[in-house]
Amino acid sequence: MAEETNQGVWGLVIDLNLCTGCNACVTACAMENNIPWVGEEDAGYGRSMSWINMQRYWEGEYPEVSPSYQPVMCQQCGRAPCEPVCPVFATVHSESEQINLQVYNRCIGTRYCANNCPYMARKFNWFDYAYNIPEPMNYYLNPSVTVRRRGVMEKCTFCVQRIHDGQENARAQGRAVIDGEIMTACQQACPADAIIFGDMTDPESQVSQALRSQRKYVLLEELGTQPKVTYLKGEGYYGG
Amino acid sequence: MSDSISRRRFLQLTGLGAAAAVMTGCGPASRYVVRRPYTDMPEYARLGESTYYATTCTECPAGCGMIMRTFEGRAIKAEGNPAHPVNSGKLCSRGLTAVQGLYNPDRIKGPARRAKRGEESLAPLSWDEALGEVKTALSAGVKTAFLLGLAPDHLYDLVSELAETAGTAKPVRYGALGMFEARATLVEAARQLFGEARFPFFDVAGADLVISFGANFLETWLSPVAYTRGYSQFRRSFGADKARGYFISFEARRSLTSGVADEWHPVVPGSEGLLALALANLLAERGWNLPVSSVDPAAAAEAAGISLEALTAVADRAAKAARPLFIPGGQALAHSAGLEAARSILALNLPKGTLGQSGGMSLSPAAADAASMKDVQALVDRMNAGQVETLFVHGVNPLFELPAGLNFAGALGKVKRVISFATYPDETALQADLLLPDHSALESWGYQRTLAGTAASAIAARQPVVVPLYDTRSSVDVLLSAGLLPYADEVEFIQSRLLPVLSAGGGNFDAAEIETFWARFLQYGGWWSAQGAQPAAQAAAEAAQPVQPQSLGEGKFRLVVYPTQLGDGSGANRPWLQETPNTSTTVMWNSWVEINPKTAEELGLHNDDVVLIKSDAGEVEASVYLFPAIRPDTLAIPFGQGHTALGRYAEGRGCNPAEVLAPVLNAAGDLALGDTLVSITPTGRRRPLSRYESKVGVYGEH
Repeated sequence: MAEETNQGVWGLVIDLNLCTGCNACVTACAMENNIPWVGEEDAGYGRSMSWINMQRYWEGEYPEVSPSYQPVMCQQCGRAPCEPVCPVFATVHSESEQINLQVYNRCIGTRYCANNCPYMARKFNWFDYAYNIPEPMNYYLNPSVTVRRRGVMEKCTFCVQRIHDGQENARAQGRAVIDGEIMTACQQACPADAIIFGDMTDPESQVSQALRSQRKYVLLEELGTQPKVTYLKGEGYYGG
Repeated sequence: MSDSISRRRFLQLTGLGAAAAVMTGCGPASRYVVRRPYTDMPEYARLGESTYYATTCTECPAGCGMIMRTFEGRAIKAEGNPAHPVNSGKLCSRGLTAVQGLYNPDRIKGPARRAKRGEESLAPLSWDEALGEVKTALSAGVKTAFLLGLAPDHLYDLVSELAETAGTAKPVRYGALGMFEARATLVEAARQLFGEARFPFFDVAGADLVISFGANFLETWLSPVAYTRGYSQFRRSFGADKARGYFISFEARRSLTSGVADEWHPVVPGSEGLLALALANLLAERGWNLPVSSVDPAAAAEAAGISLEALTAVADRAAKAARPLFIPGGQALAHSAGLEAARSILALNLPKGTLGQSGGMSLSPAAADAASMKDVQALVDRMNAGQVETLFVHGVNPLFELPAGLNFAGALGKVKRVISFATYPDETALQADLLLPDHSALESWGYQRTLAGTAASAIAARQPVVVPLYDTRSSVDVLLSAGLLPYADEVEFIQSRLLPVLSAGGGNFDAAEIETFWARFLQYGGWWSAQGAQPAAQAAAEAAQPVQPQSLGEGKFRLVVYPTQLGDGSGANRPWLQETPNTSTTVMWNSWVEINPKTAEELGLHNDDVVLIKSDAGEVEASVYLFPAIRPDTLAIPFGQGHTALGRYAEGRGCNPAEVLAPVLNAAGDLALGDTLVSITPTGRRRPLSRYESKVGVYGEH
């Protein structure tokens, strides 16, 4: 694999100082990644498929009660608890992108990985939700992303199709990938620019600069999962 | 192939070029979108590659620039237009789901005649017959009325011109978002203060302190994406140059916007004007040049339900701020004393001298033309008096969005011919005699003036990103077909309206003649000038009259009705908007009643108990949600659900709180919906809400 020239360790930073909890990232992710809706009843059973979710916590008592919003997706762990438990190697680490992959056509639906994920980032496709989208609503399905069937686990991919598009585009033009050129769907939509994505090996990239912030923390750090998603604590009365 | 290339690399290389981002408009000569075989594709469309079109989001009247990724003739993904002055490449949930509107399986697929209003069965109608009906209708002069949506677009301009030349009635505009934001009140207050009836624009990005009076500017208020972008800059700190902005919110419930505030003061709805006057007095004591009124800050704080210390602390902080902003939102303005409140709050922006500057307030250059409930009421009166023979409805769903107390349904019964241009089978289309479906916004031409999302002058362009799916026709072309106006087609009309802009120059591009202008206009997604307008601060110096908030009777609660990502309710047929959880409550697919847990305990109410909410005007039923951040004397219901039509994703879920709103207007002609008082009665039934949050451990029940 010596000829593998794809550079970069991809990382994502979410600045809770800027996040307003507007949920644009949730919708953007669903529209980019062919995530189906499940309907009211199944959503109530906790079967909704969105790969990124806004976690809202309340603190304090009225009138000093304050919410904090925290968008959480697959944290792309360096030492991922989901990986060693998969009996069929459907959830593996990619050497090229340094992210945690889900290989849909290997998955046999044991759900061990979701059971072992401390971030509740993995979503199981209980029914053929995507295949039941009525015509012509299925016209908008993104041809760059697999439409998953039932019985398969799925999760955030860091928009790996966009990473590849950006890398191929750069290679075709004989240059390196420019910082900010590759955007995840959630980052692209975020009206507050609270989501930063980029190559963590480039010290000048926006994501590397954000990672030097004193406010940074990762979720459940004590588990030693080495996430590639980092949060920047909100500075005020509100946040983080 | 060289042996050194792995299979993976080979696959990656063969995919080369798939990401080439070509942004292009249709050619300058194109007018109508035509289907072409793959063998004869336009040169910018290549198989296996995405084509990107710049257009304008029409999901709310803000007019954000959108770039639609299309692939082999299908619209795939909506993205923001990075060059657009309103949204700079960003979009909200509503814009992102625009394709679920375009490809909605419940769209009206062609013109039709309804034998009996309210019944779903339709008789087919040819476009020739339909155009004949339109021509007859338009010849009736002033007996022909138009009810349009809030968007300041080319259709509104055309109908206005029709009113001038053909003598039809002036178009009436309405939208639920305008009602919640009390837009006419805001514009009227700006007119009284500055002598110009324009929307104010608040430069949140440059401010160091923002004080919001019930403005949900991070959710739906005026131009939410533009304001969220501003908020993002406001919250950043750059070393010694700029400190993180401080945000204070006065609002009865801790909305999403108030949720990120550094300070939240749960005030009595309707007391905001009084608070602003009290704040003015406190600031005048601290050296601000503000007219002093008779309001006693201690009494005002008590009437608003907060402590005097808290109010004084706000005044101290405002006095120290270099560029404070005071934003009057819909919850402060949609009251009977809303106009006084709007003036009092806007006036607080004057003394610092930041008008038209960074971190200050300015007036949007476009004429506001804010539609108010008074106009709708006048239309209803004319309909009831039998003065309307034909009513054309476009871009608005009055039977869902208007307060039931206005009895629009009854007035509609007195109109001989109701013609709906609706794209979706909504409640009003169900009561229309003729359905002449317009193209969806992503299939049609147009322009839209930007009103409130930027201080600069901007006209956003709309162009088809896909071939029309069904036998629909542009409403502008339908109206032009009567031959009353000298335009051959829609594009000619739009171009004629762009000519003044072309000759004015000074925008994001230059063009010598209209063909070039048109091509660039479509390619950039619109025209915008770099220069913002500065308000002439005439500033009427008098303080507004203090008005006390409405008193609360025994067993009564104040009611906050607020819009969500479903907007004016038209978003309810987008399944992903339904399933995107409301951030504060995480509820999906339904309506709920927010109630303070303490009040709920006193009333013996639990989560998911179905309650009856009753006002003098009507009643609705919904499940209880124990919401920890709402005043104990206030209830809140989100708007947008409760559809009886609008297709499979919208129908039969939740309740429509417009049914409990009484048709009481304020001085500017907006609905005083904030004055609604309601009672709450348990029905003894339970209906669990679908929520994303875990129910275990929430206030001890599940």
